[in-house]
Amino acid sequence: MDWFDCNCWYGVPKSPPLAPADTVEVLGSELQRAGIVRALVRNAAIWEESPEVGNRLTSDDCAGDERLVPAWGILPPHTGELGDVSEFLAAMRAAGVRALWAYPAKHRYVLNTTTMGGLLEELQDRGIQLFLARRELPGAMEVYELADRLLADFPRLQLVATAHGSWGEDRLFRPLMARYPHFAVDTSRYELDGGIEAICRAYGPERLLFGTNFPETPMGGPMLTLLHAEISDEDRALIAGRNLRRMLEEVRL
Amino acid sequence: MINEGRITREFVAHGRVDDCPVIDTHAHFGPYQAIYFPRHRPERVLHTMDACNVRWLIISGHAALVDTVRGNREVAEVVAAHPDRIRGYWVVNPNYPEQTARALDGFEAEQTTVGQTSTVPAFVGFKFHPNGHAVPLTDDRYVPALEYADARGLPVLSHTWAGKGMSSYAEVAAIAERFPNVRFLMGHAGYGDWVDSAKVARDHEHVYLELTAAYSVRGSLEIMIEHAGSEKILFGTDHPWFDPRYGIGCILSAYMTDEDRRNILYRNAQRLFGLPLE
Repeated sequence: MDWFDCNCWYGVPKSPPLAPADTVEVLGSELQRAGIVRALVRNAAIWEESPEVGNRLTSDDCAGDERLVPAWGILPPHTGELGDVSEFLAAMRAAGVRALWAYPAKHRYVLNTTTMGGLLEELQDRGIQLFLARRELPGAMEVYELADRLLADFPRLQLVATAHGSWGEDRLFRPLMARYPHFAVDTSRYELDGGIEAICRAYGPERLLFGTNFPETPMGGPMLTLLHAEISDEDRALIAGRNLRRMLEEVRL
Repeated sequence: MINEGRITREFVAHGRVDDCPVIDTHAHFGPYQAIYFPRHRPERVLHTMDACNVRWLIISGHAALVDTVRGNREVAEVVAAHPDRIRGYWVVNPNYPEQTARALDGFEAEQTTVGQTSTVPAFVGFKFHPNGHAVPLTDDRYVPALEYADARGLPVLSHTWAGKGMSSYAEVAAIAERFPNVRFLMGHAGYGDWVDSAKVARDHEHVYLELTAAYSVRGSLEIMIEHAGSEKILFGTDHPWFDPRYGIGCILSAYMTDEDRRNILYRNAQRLFGLPLE
């Protein structure tokens, strides 16, 4: 299986997980142990300090290791830390970055077209994935309401909700899958017995991306669940890595 | 996928290991708060059990967490229909203390052998949910059931979670001291208070850590093994909430030996409940 983890991180957050991964070397070692061949990676400094700091650290740490694909954080362009939209896209192009994370609650902005000053239009038109952590906002309802408002304005945006709650959120994310053809969730906390099978039947395997939520969650849980989900091997391969690989390849920078 | 030890390799290759059965000590049955459960009906439950070699499932009724009279009766029917694969916990709801005496009578009435492969009765013990019922584990309204269990050496599975005052390790320790013959399963292993919960299990021979949801916190298993030992840890999934493959995968990921994995997946539960594995 060609595993490509869409959701893992390393670094030193102010509240460390029970088993931290302070350095990219720890992350790399655990990826190797699990047999994950590629991972979309970010440094905790992206959300704890600023994308201004965390983006650079992520790219520096991933340089030279072809398993590690850097992902960056975004900020509204009005205050200029990451340049204007065209400068930010140019920086992404230069650094080989093709996927982004948003932390609107932590970074205190409204994730909409007014605030983002044209960036969301560019992400939609260029096929750049935007990841949103489920726990970014305090309640499950708020995250999916935000996703709905965002996708109502940008229905072709490739929005991915990650590490959704494991205590029954199908009624929250399935309507978004039904309405928006490019909305997806990662599998890191999709523990529901029969859940992967049901999503594949109802919406297709393109709506699921393999993720581990490492270092908070053990890699083996989402891996064994997908390995033995009762779906076709073709669908399994798409979820395990081909969906993400294709999405990144199709980004137009 | 991780490639360390035969159990891991065979779970990865086949999704089950013939000589490593699984006993799921914390499962449920039926709908609950309209959560979407694709596999909560018994035939689908058995399908999942077979796929993962889950030999026994010990369930409490979701309905019993609300209406103990109807819900416990439903579980009795499920066990009667699948006597060689499923056993039940008898839910006690402390918000209806006047029902507890009748509930204990009902439990007593179900203590008959069912099935061909086991002499273990239909209900193996009691299930408490202090947080769900908003009644602390140390409340006197649990005492009749605890006295009953203590007199017979029965297991009690309770939801346990971090934060003193409701169902944490501190309340478990108090109950364990008072009822030394109750075999106490800390559901979710006292989620969040990992070290203190493990120490309660270490310090009380009759207290065990049950893993539902706890396994999904990376590092928690290693802490439990360090402080309590793998002999005090039991596998559970809250099925139909969670796929057993997810929990098993987390155990395969954790740094432990195959002997530890066998202890957790079936040996400890087999010893505790006396359920046959052949």
